[in-house]
Amino acid sequence: MSVTSPAIRLADVAKRYGRREILAGISLEVAPGSRLGLIGPAASGKSVILKLVAGLEQADRGRVDVLGTELVGKREVELGRVRRRIGMLFQNYALFDFLTVERNVAFPLEQRGGMSAGDIATRVAERLRAVGLAGSEHKLTGELSGGMKKRVGIARATVADAELVLYDEPTAGLDPVTTQKIYDLLAADQARTKATVIAVSSDVVALASFVDEIAFLYQGKLIYRGPAATIADAPDPMVRQFVRGELEGPLEDVRTEAS
Amino acid sequence: MIGERLIVAVGAGASRIAQEVGGILILTGQVLRALVPPRIDRRELVKNLYKMGNRSVPIVALTAFFAGALMILQAGPFVKKFGATSLAGYASGYAVLREIGPILIALMFSGRVGANNTAELATMTVTEQLDGLRALAIDPVAFLVVPRVIAMMVMLVVLTALGDLVALLGAAVVARTMLEVDFSTMYYSIVDNLRPFDFLLGVYKSVAFGAAIAMSSCYFGVAVRGGAVGVGKAVNAAVVASAVSIMLLDFLLTYLVGG
Repeated sequence: MSVTSPAIRLADVAKRYGRREILAGISLEVAPGSRLGLIGPAASGKSVILKLVAGLEQADRGRVDVLGTELVGKREVELGRVRRRIGMLFQNYALFDFLTVERNVAFPLEQRGGMSAGDIATRVAERLRAVGLAGSEHKLTGELSGGMKKRVGIARATVADAELVLYDEPTAGLDPVTTQKIYDLLAADQARTKATVIAVSSDVVALASFVDEIAFLYQGKLIYRGPAATIADAPDPMVRQFVRGELEGPLEDVRTEAS
Repeated sequence: MIGERLIVAVGAGASRIAQEVGGILILTGQVLRALVPPRIDRRELVKNLYKMGNRSVPIVALTAFFAGALMILQAGPFVKKFGATSLAGYASGYAVLREIGPILIALMFSGRVGANNTAELATMTVTEQLDGLRALAIDPVAFLVVPRVIAMMVMLVVLTALGDLVALLGAAVVARTMLEVDFSTMYYSIVDNLRPFDFLLGVYKSVAFGAAIAMSSCYFGVAVRGGAVGVGKAVNAAVVASAVSIMLLDFLLTYLVGG
């Protein structure tokens, strides 16, 4: 991959589930080392984009290039090579309930190999301290609150210093103070690893403090992309209405289905 | 009108069954592929062997003991009437080793272990844990399904052998107390009249039953759709499919090799 190539490039990507069109020809590029936020109403296709980028879903149409590899039509083994370079936080945590907190975080490192048990333990302890979960190492994930699960998910997504990190609602269900702490942590991590980041969040204000740019999705289309700092004053009236949470405006027909 | 509805219902049912059988066959192919070369997580395998085998011993032993006892209880009046007490061991052994042992224990195993396996895998599927594994470049079939299939097949054979022994013990105890047939008469009635093949046929059957229970319970677990309702439906479908497969395989194996 040349220095100037984008870390992620989606070209005219479409995706349907049954008769429901989720993405209707999305094109998007993300530069290496940059942080992009995705926002939009429910069912606008945000999580689907993350899954396409992680190779967990296949596009019906278009091209998906991630870290220099085209993912469409690739077999699981080939996708696995790309996934090893990606960290992902799922919206519903996707923690392994048959493992303790410590082993959940250690799992990506154990499976990749190449690290001693001692180094893995040190790295896991450091990650758990960073997300404020020191002392919870031996708990099963079923014993944790939603916020704690989210933090375990963040620790697992960032433990391997991936080149690309995908966060699906990293702060949903967390209080404002914890939300800010989490974003500070993610920002510090990204500054250290220079990873490319895509974060999906409904908390636009907090998200804007973390990412460089924000893209707005609506009805499976990319409507707007611009600087995060000025998102509340974006020229697009739909974006302004969404960010400000106004009831009146062009977004009156916002679909309410879960994404 | 009624005829038309009947045809539609039969067609829909046949299509669903074909889809499920196809799904089970595809999963079986994936399991076989994961075995060459073997890519088995040893920790998962040991955990499943223990959970599925050791913990099933009490219920299998209890069921087998009473199954053997009931056979003598039912046959007792006729055995006495015809003065054939010396054949009580042969008759009960023949039925237990070839038919009652494998089928009864397989049905118990399906209800206890198979249903539990489907519920576990289905819950992991709906909570995105399988996607979580894929995101870490881990094949869920190799990591989760293969150890379970091996554990179920191995443990059903072991439990069937154990159940056979306990059932014969139950038969001997009842024969001694109700028919006044000595333990030694029962013993020689069994070893003098039964062939090793009578035992081996039961073992063959339990291998086939184990594979059927394992594949259906894993398939319905990973193919689940929806939330808690979907998990319930998956468990129900797995138990029904296992029971039907056990009966069909029993008939086929008895017909083809049981002579």
